[in-house]
Amino acid sequence: MLQRFLDPSVLAGISGLDLVAKTVVDGFVAGLHRSPDFGFSQEFAEYRAYTPGDDLRHVDWNVFARTERAYLKRYRGETNSILTVLLDASNSMKFTSHSVTKMDYARFTAASLFYLAIHNQRDAAGLIVFDDEIRSYIRPSTRQGQLHRLLAGLEQAEPRARTDFAKPLDHFQQFLRRRGMVIFISDFYDSPEHIVRTIEPLRFHGNEVVLFHVLDPKEIRPEFREPTTLVDLETQDRIEITPEYVRDEYQKKFDAHVEALRDKTKGAGMDYHLLTTDRPLDDALREYLSIRQGRD
Amino acid sequence: MGLFAPWFLAGLAALAVPFYVHLLRRHTTNPRPFSSLMFFERRTQSSIKHRRLRYLLLLSLRALLFALLVLAFANPFINRTAANMSGEKLLLLVIDDSFSMRAGTRLADARREALAVLDSRPAGNRSQIMALGSQLQALTQPSLDGGALRAAIDSLQPGDSRANYGELSRAVRSLSGAVPTPIELHFFSDTQKSAMPASFSELALPGNVSLVLHPVAKDSTRNWTVESVNAPGQVWDPKKTRVQAVVAGFGTPAATRTVSLMVNGKTAATKTVDVPANGRATVEFQSLDVPYGFTRCEVRIDSADGFAADDVSQFAVERSDPRRALFVSDAADSRSPLYFKSALASAEQAAFTLDTVSAGQASSMPLSKYAFVVLSDLISVPASLETELLRYVQAGGSVWIAEGAAAAHAARIPVFGGNVLDSHDYARTGDRYLNAGESDPSFPSLENMDRWSGVKFYFAVKVDPGDARVVARLADQTPLLIEKKMGEGKVLLFTSGLDNITNDFPLHPVFVPFVQQTALYLSGTQRRSGSRTVDSFLELRNSKEQSVGVEVTDPDGRRPLSLKEATTAQTYQLTRAGFYELKLASGRQDVVGVNPDRRESNLEVIPDETLSLWRGNSGTGEQQAAAQGATQEQTRPYSLWWYIMFLVFAAALAESLLADRYLVAPQQEDL
Repeated sequence: MLQRFLDPSVLAGISGLDLVAKTVVDGFVAGLHRSPDFGFSQEFAEYRAYTPGDDLRHVDWNVFARTERAYLKRYRGETNSILTVLLDASNSMKFTSHSVTKMDYARFTAASLFYLAIHNQRDAAGLIVFDDEIRSYIRPSTRQGQLHRLLAGLEQAEPRARTDFAKPLDHFQQFLRRRGMVIFISDFYDSPEHIVRTIEPLRFHGNEVVLFHVLDPKEIRPEFREPTTLVDLETQDRIEITPEYVRDEYQKKFDAHVEALRDKTKGAGMDYHLLTTDRPLDDALREYLSIRQGRD
Repeated sequence: MGLFAPWFLAGLAALAVPFYVHLLRRHTTNPRPFSSLMFFERRTQSSIKHRRLRYLLLLSLRALLFALLVLAFANPFINRTAANMSGEKLLLLVIDDSFSMRAGTRLADARREALAVLDSRPAGNRSQIMALGSQLQALTQPSLDGGALRAAIDSLQPGDSRANYGELSRAVRSLSGAVPTPIELHFFSDTQKSAMPASFSELALPGNVSLVLHPVAKDSTRNWTVESVNAPGQVWDPKKTRVQAVVAGFGTPAATRTVSLMVNGKTAATKTVDVPANGRATVEFQSLDVPYGFTRCEVRIDSADGFAADDVSQFAVERSDPRRALFVSDAADSRSPLYFKSALASAEQAAFTLDTVSAGQASSMPLSKYAFVVLSDLISVPASLETELLRYVQAGGSVWIAEGAAAAHAARIPVFGGNVLDSHDYARTGDRYLNAGESDPSFPSLENMDRWSGVKFYFAVKVDPGDARVVARLADQTPLLIEKKMGEGKVLLFTSGLDNITNDFPLHPVFVPFVQQTALYLSGTQRRSGSRTVDSFLELRNSKEQSVGVEVTDPDGRRPLSLKEATTAQTYQLTRAGFYELKLASGRQDVVGVNPDRRESNLEVIPDETLSLWRGNSGTGEQQAAAQGATQEQTRPYSLWWYIMFLVFAAALAESLLADRYLVAPQQEDL
């Protein structure tokens, strides 16, 4: 039942990103309680036999007293992390075929991630909104009110201009001090090689890089019943297309593009997730928690 | 195939509209936004395909709709042969039942031929029976019921009207406009020449009517008839009453005929007359000894021909005593009473006895017993006499005032009331006299006004007629005879004298009928001839006699007027020969003898050449019937407008349904 609140079309009817984020995360967490595989926060995780070189502070001395064997006690989420979301706010993100635009979906996703990171994990979180320039930058922090600043930044992120990954990443690397998790939310209308080549340097800094590829279902499977003139939302170019071309050529090219992007990001040690705007948001949250667990 | 309004075909240019909508307009559809065009390629094929016509069925329907609309405005028609229009034709059998069909076995022959045509008619063809007298009368409606049609023919009786073939053609022309099918007109008649209209063009028949003539009289038949009877309507002195009859022969040799005067069914007198070949002879009966009241009389001949019905002419007379009239003049005036009395006495019958008195004597006399009063050139009228005269006129009496030289000194006309504007003594002018000028010929005593040309008027008073009716004037437009209605009676003013001083009128022969007819008119006993012609109209009432019941009894003793007609009918058409009894709205009773139009007695038939012209070709009737029976070549334009409008409606409905299906779907179509 709570899963219903992860539906993007339902979230579109909720005003205020904070409420959206809270709804999503609370619903998501409630769902996780039934899962045996995941836990978080300062919960006990496991005992591991002491090996030389381990930090003696983690030895469970009570166990040693009873058994005279040294075991290390492991906790989950015991370390703070830095989450930085890079949100593409170019004009192509305005596209939609139903009630939720790609930009809305990206905002919901980012807001939910921020809520989960700050409210539940006590991680530092920051935001970069970009198109072909850096539109806004909120430095990652755990300070009081950071969540509200991030949500406000998301609210103000209206799509405009074109996408250019190179310029915002150059800028971003200047502020990168600590390792953390970098999440790209974009529709990635560029060549996979160029995208990976541009983003790959972040990985070299030891960051976990995740690409959330947000697409509308009708971008993946467009349906045209008659010859139509299409206008590029970013370049305003026009082109006449036929249903036959869309059905054959376009599908092949698009599938190849997604496949190439997935392969190249994997190959570069980054994670790739295709999010369609008609799907619930838990995929993104699950990915975040999975990566964060892996970092512990 | 043709078009009633071909210029509307210019509207076919509107066919460009659906092509524009389906081709050009679709080409300029609103572009759709898309995230990125990086996976699309511009191709020529795309553009070509884009311009392809869409929704071909819808386009076809729309083009058809426009074309049909244009066609509907152009109003196409097809020329269809009359026979093909409905696959049938109306068989119209018209039987002449005019008076001449009583001759010999003409009507029986016509009925027999009509029955034969009816029996040989094609199955499924409707037929209608009509009779032609003075008018075309439908005996049945168009019907397939052979029994009813035969009964109508069998029951047809000869009439007394005069046939008019022009009326037949006119009625059939009117009928053909109302009947969609062709008409095959079979006319059974004696083809009497006298029934032809004045102009042959009146016989023209419309194109969808084919005429088949069935003459029942092959050639002219000799016939004697009593062509006319001249008898007075009223009899005052039977010994002086004359009855004149004209006996005519049509196509007859010279012969001696016996003519009888019948009174109430009994022979009163018999004479023989020699009738010349194909000519006329007049017979005069010197007396008409009839009892008081109405008497039915007839003049009959022994024609010994095949047409006995026209051997008699009927008329009615009314016998009454002479009425009294009062002539008031000055004692010194001896001329005017003399001339007036002589004129009345010289009439064929003495209808009036005249009392001549002075004005003073008249004052003490009861006026009501006089049929009319004459005031002849009185120098003065005593007030008591004028009062009595006014009362007399208001009660319905009549006064005739003649103003001689004595009126020149009077300021007003007594009883009449008009002022004397002037007096003309023409003897003192250069012309010395004036003649009569224009007159109203409808006035009874002015019917022979043309015979007044020699009358010289030396003196006349000029009177303002006011609302009175001027029925005669002198040459200088001075009113000569003025009639004024007063109450129930009337006053007649003669602006000159009745002596031979102010004019020489009494010395002219025309003075006698003028006095007699005026006296009859003023007395109200004037009665027209006691005979009428069949199909003439009888006046039942005048404008003042509305809502008063009248009574008409026809020769069979029946009363043909309904109760409503008896109170409202103005006239009655005399359709039968015989004696009609009348009780008019004025309360008078009358009897009139009605005779058929004597043109029906002339049995000369129409020449074959004329009949051929009427048929429209020179062939015989049988040939024509055969030709027309084979194929009807007449064509008529048949409008297709309603059919096209039905198709327009169907196309519009189909277009709506199809457009709803096609054009709603794209609106719901998402990318």
